[in-house]
Amino acid sequence: MSELLHGPLFAITLTLLAYQGAMFVYTRSGRLALFHPTISGATLIAAALMLLQQDYHAYYQNINWLTFLLGPATVALAVPLYRQLHLLRNMAGPLLITVTVGAIFASASALIIAWLFGANHSTLLSLTTKSITTPIAITVTQDIGGVTTIAVASVILTGVVGITTVTWLFEKLDIQDDRLWGFCLGLSAHAIGTSRAFERSPVAGAFSSLALCLTGTFTAIFVPFAARWFM
Amino acid sequence: MLAGFLSLIGCQLLGEFIQRALGLPLPGPVIGMLILFIGLCIRGDVPKDLEIGSQRLIELLPMLLMAPAAGVFFLGAGFADQWPAFIAAVTLGTLCTLVFCGLLIRFLHGRTDKDRKDRA
Repeated sequence: MSELLHGPLFAITLTLLAYQGAMFVYTRSGRLALFHPTISGATLIAAALMLLQQDYHAYYQNINWLTFLLGPATVALAVPLYRQLHLLRNMAGPLLITVTVGAIFASASALIIAWLFGANHSTLLSLTTKSITTPIAITVTQDIGGVTTIAVASVILTGVVGITTVTWLFEKLDIQDDRLWGFCLGLSAHAIGTSRAFERSPVAGAFSSLALCLTGTFTAIFVPFAARWFM
Repeated sequence: MLAGFLSLIGCQLLGEFIQRALGLPLPGPVIGMLILFIGLCIRGDVPKDLEIGSQRLIELLPMLLMAPAAGVFFLGAGFADQWPAFIAAVTLGTLCTLVFCGLLIRFLHGRTDKDRKDRA
Protein backbone atom coordinates (compact mmCIF):
# COMPACT_ATOMS: atom_id res chain seq x y z
CA MET A 1 0.00 0.00 0.00
CA SER A 2 2.53 2.58 1.14
CA GLU A 3 4.62 2.12 -2.01
CA LEU A 4 1.80 3.92 -3.83
CA LEU A 5 2.68 7.07 -1.84
CA HIS A 6 6.24 6.94 -3.13
CA GLY A 7 5.47 6.74 -6.84
CA PRO A 8 4.97 9.33 -9.58
CA LEU A 9 1.25 8.52 -9.84
CA PHE A 10 0.61 9.78 -6.32
CA ALA A 11 2.96 12.76 -6.69
CA ILE A 12 1.32 13.94 -9.92
CA THR A 13 -2.20 13.38 -8.54
CA LEU A 14 -1.26 15.42 -5.47
CA THR A 15 0.10 18.22 -7.65
CA LEU A 16 -2.96 18.39 -9.92
CA LEU A 17 -5.27 18.18 -6.92
CA ALA A 18 -3.39 20.97 -5.13
CA TYR A 19 -3.67 23.08 -8.30
CA GLN A 20 -7.45 22.56 -8.51
CA GLY A 21 -7.77 23.38 -4.80
CA ALA A 22 -5.55 26.45 -5.21
CA MET A 23 -7.58 27.72 -8.18
CA PHE A 24 -10.78 27.24 -6.20
CA VAL A 25 -9.43 29.18 -3.20
CA TYR A 26 -8.02 31.88 -5.48
CA THR A 27 -11.24 32.53 -7.42
CA ARG A 28 -13.32 32.30 -4.23
CA SER A 29 -11.11 34.88 -2.51
CA GLY A 30 -11.84 37.33 -5.34
CA ARG A 31 -8.34 36.78 -6.81
CA LEU A 32 -6.56 38.01 -3.71
CA ALA A 33 -2.82 38.17 -4.51
CA LEU A 34 -1.90 36.33 -1.32
CA PHE A 35 -3.91 33.31 -2.53
CA HIS A 36 -2.29 33.18 -5.97
CA PRO A 37 -2.30 29.50 -7.14
CA THR A 38 1.49 29.25 -6.95
CA ILE A 39 1.40 30.30 -3.29
CA SER A 40 -1.70 28.48 -2.09
CA GLY A 41 -0.86 25.40 -4.21
CA ALA A 42 2.66 25.21 -2.78
CA THR A 43 1.24 25.49 0.76
CA LEU A 44 -1.25 22.71 0.06
CA ILE A 45 1.49 20.45 -1.32
CA ALA A 46 3.80 21.14 1.62
CA ALA A 47 0.96 20.51 4.10
CA ALA A 48 0.03 17.23 2.40
CA LEU A 49 3.65 16.03 2.35
CA MET A 50 4.10 16.86 6.03
CA LEU A 51 0.82 15.17 7.01
CA LEU A 52 1.70 12.03 5.07
CA GLN A 53 5.31 12.24 6.28
CA GLN A 54 6.68 12.16 2.77
CA ASP A 55 10.11 13.34 1.74
CA TYR A 56 10.03 16.54 -0.35
CA HIS A 57 13.02 15.59 -2.51
CA ALA A 58 11.50 12.21 -3.36
CA TYR A 59 8.26 13.97 -4.28
CA TYR A 60 10.14 16.44 -6.47
CA GLN A 61 11.90 13.56 -8.26
CA ASN A 62 8.53 11.94 -8.88
CA ILE A 63 7.05 14.93 -10.68
CA ASN A 64 10.04 15.25 -13.02
CA TRP A 65 7.60 14.52 -15.80
CA LEU A 66 5.70 17.72 -14.98
CA THR A 67 8.65 20.01 -14.21
CA PHE A 68 10.18 18.93 -17.52
CA LEU A 69 7.50 21.13 -19.11
CA LEU A 70 9.19 24.26 -17.69
CA GLY A 71 11.71 23.97 -20.57
CA PRO A 72 9.21 24.06 -23.47
CA ALA A 73 7.13 26.60 -21.49
CA THR A 74 10.15 28.92 -21.48
CA VAL A 75 10.55 28.46 -25.25
CA ALA A 76 6.80 29.15 -25.62
CA LEU A 77 7.32 32.66 -24.20
CA ALA A 78 8.69 33.57 -27.64
CA VAL A 79 5.11 33.57 -28.97
CA PRO A 80 3.68 36.36 -26.74
CA LEU A 81 7.00 38.17 -27.12
CA TYR A 82 6.62 38.09 -30.91
CA ARG A 83 2.99 39.20 -30.62
CA GLN A 84 4.09 42.24 -28.57
CA LEU A 85 6.89 43.27 -30.86
CA HIS A 86 4.80 46.11 -32.28
CA LEU A 87 4.33 47.46 -28.73
CA LEU A 88 8.08 47.57 -28.25
CA ARG A 89 8.68 49.62 -31.40
CA ASN A 90 6.96 52.73 -30.04
CA MET A 91 8.69 52.66 -26.66
CA ALA A 92 11.89 50.70 -27.37
CA GLY A 93 14.27 53.23 -25.79
CA PRO A 94 12.61 53.66 -22.37
CA LEU A 95 11.80 49.93 -22.11
CA LEU A 96 15.30 48.70 -22.97
CA ILE A 97 16.97 51.18 -20.62
CA THR A 98 14.57 50.23 -17.80
CA VAL A 99 15.22 46.50 -18.33
CA THR A 100 18.99 46.87 -18.32
CA VAL A 101 19.22 49.17 -15.32
CA GLY A 102 16.28 47.52 -13.52
CA ALA A 103 17.61 43.96 -13.85
CA ILE A 104 20.98 44.99 -12.43
CA PHE A 105 19.21 46.93 -9.67
CA ALA A 106 17.06 43.90 -8.79
CA SER A 107 20.08 41.64 -8.31
CA ALA A 108 22.30 44.24 -6.70
CA SER A 109 19.69 45.52 -4.19
CA ALA A 110 19.00 41.97 -2.97
CA LEU A 111 22.72 41.20 -2.70
CA ILE A 112 23.53 44.39 -0.77
CA ILE A 113 20.64 43.94 1.70
CA ALA A 114 21.45 40.24 2.23
CA TRP A 115 25.11 41.08 2.73
CA LEU A 116 24.23 43.77 5.32
CA PHE A 117 22.16 41.15 7.16
CA GLY A 118 25.12 38.79 7.16
CA ALA A 119 24.03 36.20 4.59
CA ASN A 120 26.58 33.53 3.70
CA HIS A 121 28.22 32.95 0.34
CA SER A 122 25.79 30.38 -1.06
CA THR A 123 22.72 32.40 -0.01
CA LEU A 124 24.17 35.45 -1.80
CA LEU A 125 24.81 33.47 -4.98
CA SER A 126 21.28 32.05 -4.86
CA LEU A 127 19.74 35.53 -4.55
CA THR A 128 21.20 36.94 -7.77
CA THR A 129 18.44 35.42 -9.91
CA LYS A 130 15.51 36.43 -7.71
CA SER A 131 13.82 38.65 -10.29
CA ILE A 132 13.86 36.21 -13.18
CA THR A 133 11.52 33.44 -14.12
CA THR A 134 12.10 30.07 -12.39
CA PRO A 135 13.28 27.90 -15.33
CA ILE A 136 15.94 30.47 -16.19
CA ALA A 137 16.80 31.09 -12.53
CA ILE A 138 17.31 27.36 -11.88
CA THR A 139 19.72 26.96 -14.79
CA VAL A 140 21.69 30.11 -14.00
CA THR A 141 21.95 29.30 -10.27
CA GLN A 142 23.27 25.83 -11.00
CA ASP A 143 25.74 27.37 -13.42
CA ILE A 144 27.21 29.79 -10.85
CA GLY A 145 27.13 27.33 -7.92
CA GLY A 146 24.15 28.58 -5.88
CA VAL A 147 21.55 26.43 -4.14
CA THR A 148 18.56 25.71 -6.40
CA THR A 149 15.95 25.50 -3.63
CA ILE A 150 16.99 28.86 -2.17
CA ALA A 151 17.02 30.40 -5.65
CA VAL A 152 13.53 29.08 -6.35
CA ALA A 153 12.36 30.24 -2.92
CA SER A 154 13.71 33.74 -3.56
CA VAL A 155 12.08 33.84 -7.01
CA ILE A 156 8.71 32.78 -5.60
CA LEU A 157 8.86 35.11 -2.60
CA THR A 158 9.84 37.96 -4.93
CA GLY A 159 6.75 37.20 -7.01
CA VAL A 160 4.55 37.12 -3.92
CA VAL A 161 5.90 40.41 -2.59
CA GLY A 162 5.53 41.94 -6.05
CA ILE A 163 1.90 41.02 -6.62
CA THR A 164 0.77 41.76 -3.07
CA THR A 165 2.26 45.26 -3.02
CA VAL A 166 2.14 46.50 -6.62
CA THR A 167 -1.46 47.79 -6.64
CA TRP A 168 -0.95 49.90 -3.53
CA LEU A 169 2.58 50.99 -4.41
CA PHE A 170 1.78 52.14 -7.95
CA GLU A 171 -1.32 53.94 -6.73
CA LYS A 172 0.94 55.93 -4.39
CA LEU A 173 3.46 56.57 -7.19
CA ASP A 174 0.60 57.42 -9.55
CA ILE A 175 1.65 54.88 -12.21
CA GLN A 176 -1.66 53.78 -13.72
CA ASP A 177 -0.69 53.41 -17.40
CA ASP A 178 -1.28 49.68 -18.07
CA ARG A 179 1.85 49.50 -20.20
CA LEU A 180 4.19 50.87 -17.53
CA TRP A 181 2.33 49.03 -14.75
CA GLY A 182 2.69 45.66 -16.50
CA PHE A 183 6.25 46.23 -17.60
CA CYS A 184 7.53 47.04 -14.10
CA LEU A 185 5.67 44.10 -12.59
CA GLY A 186 7.05 41.67 -15.19
CA LEU A 187 10.55 43.04 -14.66
CA SER A 188 10.43 42.80 -10.85
CA ALA A 189 8.17 39.80 -10.34
CA HIS A 190 8.57 37.58 -13.47
CA ALA A 191 5.92 34.91 -14.24
CA ILE A 192 3.91 35.42 -11.04
CA GLY A 193 3.78 39.13 -11.78
CA THR A 194 2.86 38.41 -15.39
CA SER A 195 -0.10 36.21 -14.53
CA ARG A 196 -1.27 39.00 -12.20
CA ALA A 197 -0.78 41.59 -14.97
CA PHE A 198 -2.95 39.56 -17.37
CA GLU A 199 -5.74 39.87 -14.79
CA ARG A 200 -5.47 43.66 -14.91
CA SER A 201 -5.67 43.88 -18.71
CA PRO A 202 -4.32 42.15 -21.85
CA VAL A 203 -2.09 45.17 -22.48
CA ALA A 204 -0.60 45.01 -18.97
CA GLY A 205 -0.08 41.26 -19.48
CA ALA A 206 1.60 41.77 -22.83
CA PHE A 207 4.03 44.34 -21.44
CA SER A 208 4.62 42.17 -18.41
CA SER A 209 5.60 39.13 -20.50
CA LEU A 210 7.79 41.36 -22.65
CA ALA A 211 9.59 42.53 -19.49
CA LEU A 212 9.79 38.95 -18.20
CA CYS A 213 11.47 37.74 -21.40
CA LEU A 214 13.87 40.67 -21.63
CA THR A 215 14.82 40.60 -17.91
CA GLY A 216 15.29 36.82 -17.98
CA THR A 217 17.48 36.91 -21.06
CA PHE A 218 19.52 39.89 -19.91
CA THR A 219 20.03 38.53 -16.37
CA ALA A 220 20.91 35.08 -17.72
CA ILE A 221 23.67 36.70 -19.75
CA PHE A 222 25.12 39.10 -17.19
CA VAL A 223 24.87 37.15 -13.91
CA PRO A 224 27.20 34.29 -14.94
CA PHE A 225 29.77 36.79 -16.19
CA ALA A 226 29.42 39.05 -13.14
CA ALA A 227 29.63 36.02 -10.82
CA ARG A 228 32.86 34.86 -12.46
CA TRP A 229 34.30 38.33 -12.15
CA PHE A 230 33.40 38.69 -8.43
CA MET A 231 34.35 35.20 -7.19
CA MET B 1 -1.38 21.12 -30.75
CA LEU B 2 1.19 18.31 -30.89
CA ALA B 3 2.85 19.89 -33.93
CA GLY B 4 3.13 23.08 -31.89
CA PHE B 5 4.64 21.16 -28.98
CA LEU B 6 7.12 19.61 -31.38
CA SER B 7 8.31 23.06 -32.51
CA LEU B 8 8.75 24.04 -28.85
CA ILE B 9 10.82 21.03 -27.76
CA GLY B 10 12.62 21.09 -31.13
CA CYS B 11 13.75 24.67 -30.41
CA GLN B 12 14.70 23.68 -26.88
CA LEU B 13 16.78 20.76 -28.13
CA LEU B 14 18.51 23.01 -30.64
CA GLY B 15 19.08 25.56 -27.86
CA GLU B 16 20.58 22.93 -25.54
CA PHE B 17 22.80 21.75 -28.40
CA ILE B 18 24.06 25.26 -29.18
CA GLN B 19 24.63 25.94 -25.48
CA ARG B 20 26.83 22.85 -25.15
CA ALA B 21 28.58 23.27 -28.48
CA LEU B 22 29.57 26.89 -27.80
CA GLY B 23 29.80 26.66 -23.98
CA LEU B 24 27.42 29.60 -23.58
CA PRO B 25 26.41 30.74 -20.05
CA LEU B 26 22.83 31.19 -21.31
CA PRO B 27 20.41 28.31 -20.44
CA GLY B 28 19.34 26.04 -23.34
CA PRO B 29 15.59 26.85 -23.10
CA VAL B 30 16.40 30.59 -23.24
CA ILE B 31 18.46 30.07 -26.40
CA GLY B 32 15.54 27.98 -27.71
CA MET B 33 13.21 30.88 -26.98
CA LEU B 34 15.46 33.26 -28.94
CA ILE B 35 15.64 30.78 -31.85
CA LEU B 36 11.84 30.47 -31.96
CA PHE B 37 11.51 34.24 -31.70
CA ILE B 38 13.87 34.81 -34.64
CA GLY B 39 12.03 32.07 -36.58
CA LEU B 40 8.68 33.81 -35.99
CA CYS B 41 10.13 37.16 -37.08
CA ILE B 42 11.38 35.58 -40.33
CA ARG B 43 8.12 33.73 -40.94
CA GLY B 44 6.03 36.77 -40.16
CA ASP B 45 3.17 35.00 -38.37
CA VAL B 46 2.46 32.36 -35.72
CA PRO B 47 1.26 28.90 -36.94
CA LYS B 48 -2.07 27.99 -35.35
CA ASP B 49 -0.73 24.79 -33.75
CA LEU B 50 2.12 26.67 -32.13
CA GLU B 51 -0.22 29.42 -30.93
CA ILE B 52 -2.48 26.88 -29.19
CA GLY B 53 0.37 24.74 -27.86
CA SER B 54 2.29 27.62 -26.38
CA GLN B 55 -0.81 29.20 -24.88
CA ARG B 56 -1.72 25.93 -23.11
CA LEU B 57 1.78 25.62 -21.69
CA ILE B 58 1.93 29.23 -20.51
CA GLU B 59 -1.45 28.79 -18.79
CA LEU B 60 0.09 25.85 -16.90
CA LEU B 61 3.01 27.93 -15.56
CA PRO B 62 1.45 28.63 -12.12
CA MET B 63 1.01 24.87 -11.65
CA LEU B 64 4.53 24.02 -12.83
CA LEU B 65 5.92 26.53 -10.31
CA MET B 66 3.94 25.17 -7.33
CA ALA B 67 6.16 22.16 -6.68
CA PRO B 68 9.48 24.07 -6.69
CA ALA B 69 7.80 26.72 -4.52
CA ALA B 70 6.80 24.09 -1.94
CA GLY B 71 10.53 23.58 -1.39
CA VAL B 72 10.55 26.77 0.74
CA PHE B 73 8.97 24.74 3.55
CA PHE B 74 11.71 22.11 3.41
CA LEU B 75 14.93 24.15 3.39
CA GLY B 76 16.02 22.46 6.60
CA ALA B 77 18.00 23.42 9.69
CA GLY B 78 21.11 24.44 7.73
CA PHE B 79 19.25 27.46 6.41
CA ALA B 80 17.80 28.60 9.76
CA ASP B 81 20.33 31.40 10.38
CA GLN B 82 19.91 32.65 6.80
CA TRP B 83 16.19 33.40 7.02
CA PRO B 84 16.39 37.02 8.31
CA ALA B 85 18.86 38.03 5.57
CA PHE B 86 16.90 36.08 2.97
CA ILE B 87 13.52 37.60 3.85
CA ALA B 88 14.92 41.12 4.19
CA ALA B 89 16.77 40.90 0.87
CA VAL B 90 13.80 39.55 -1.04
CA THR B 91 11.04 41.75 0.40
CA LEU B 92 12.98 45.03 0.66
CA GLY B 93 14.85 44.32 -2.57
CA THR B 94 11.63 43.70 -4.47
CA LEU B 95 9.90 46.79 -3.08
CA CYS B 96 12.94 48.92 -3.97
CA THR B 97 13.08 47.39 -7.47
CA LEU B 98 9.38 48.11 -8.10
CA VAL B 99 9.70 51.71 -6.93
CA PHE B 100 12.99 52.23 -8.77
CA CYS B 101 11.71 50.77 -12.07
CA GLY B 102 8.39 52.57 -11.75
CA LEU B 103 10.03 55.96 -11.27
CA LEU B 104 12.66 55.30 -13.94
CA ILE B 105 10.23 54.22 -16.65
CA ARG B 106 7.80 57.01 -15.81
CA PHE B 107 10.66 59.49 -16.13
CA LEU B 108 11.95 58.01 -19.43
CA HIS B 109 8.51 57.51 -20.92
CA GLY B 110 7.33 60.97 -19.88
CA ARG B 111 10.42 62.45 -21.47
CA THR B 112 9.93 60.69 -24.83
CA ASP B 113 6.27 61.69 -24.83
CA LYS B 114 7.32 65.27 -24.29
CA ASP B 115 10.02 65.01 -26.98
CA ARG B 116 7.42 63.85 -29.46
CA LYS B 117 5.06 66.66 -28.54
CA ASP B 118 7.91 69.15 -28.82
CA ARG B 119 8.82 67.88 -32.26
CA ALA B 120 5.23 67.87 -33.45
